[in-house]
Amino acid sequence: MASSKGGGMEKMSVEQLKAIKEQTDLEVNLLQDSLNNIRTATSRLESASTALHDLSLRPQGAKMLVPLTASLYVPGTLDDARKVLVDIGTGYFVEKTMDEGKDYCERKINLLKSNFDQLIEVRLELPNLKHCMSWYIGFKQLRHVVQAISRMERPIKYNYKSNRSKGMFLHPHNYTN
Amino acid sequence: MGSAAALRELQRELETKANDLSKLQKDIGKNHQVRKKYTIQLGENELVLKELGLLNEGANVYKLIGPVLVKQDLAEANANVRKRIEYISAELKRLDATLQDLEEKQNSKKEAIFKVQQRIQSLQAGKAKA
Repeated sequence: MASSKGGGMEKMSVEQLKAIKEQTDLEVNLLQDSLNNIRTATSRLESASTALHDLSLRPQGAKMLVPLTASLYVPGTLDDARKVLVDIGTGYFVEKTMDEGKDYCERKINLLKSNFDQLIEVRLELPNLKHCMSWYIGFKQLRHVVQAISRMERPIKYNYKSNRSKGMFLHPHNYTN
Repeated sequence: MGSAAALRELQRELETKANDLSKLQKDIGKNHQVRKKYTIQLGENELVLKELGLLNEGANVYKLIGPVLVKQDLAEANANVRKRIEYISAELKRLDATLQDLEEKQNSKKEAIFKVQQRIQSLQAGKAKA
């Protein structure tokens, strides 16, 4: 991928390169957001998993206070902790046994972790690309400056030409005007 | 005198074209947003379908309708989710087509703008010489 892009970069203008750089910046931000989202989702699933584990340890008929609102609790007793309802998304709930519920949490956590690792790999590559892009843009701009100077002060061009007639900074066709 | 009028004409043309371009770019941005939303929904539905597929025949499935959970057949839930995935996929395909169309339009607009700019430049250069 890098080599195929390297050939194309030579021909692109500074504006195009800047557009690409902007796009990469956006991608990096998006990626960071995704990573944060995955992290929060994982921690929520982990807390759900521990809550399930906690619940499974309570005997039937255990006394508890059930929250109706954030500050109002009513007394209740635990009826049956063997079955739980799991929200599987888009408004669907499935009745599962305690073990199945725990298994569900584990599976989801593992899925998120593998996604997370994939994203991390991508993210490690992106800053490299970003760095490369800014360097290249700087290089291009420098080349423009050198060309402008060589046009202003004709004598310089001979110096450059004699020193590095095949240098990549100055091609012969740049002096024709 | 004639060249000045032509220049003004060209600049007006450039302005309208630039406006068109920004409108197109806005549309493209909107398209991206909608597509993002649908992609997320598609992913969620696919996860649900996978989860439903893991259940055994007699499992109890509930659908959240407003604040209440209503019991639903596993087969029915499966069919519902499948239908939704189908719909979202079709919608995504449609969005792809419009996006491609918009991008083509954007590119041709950019080219047109570039040409007008060049003409303006050559006109100005000609005036400077004269």
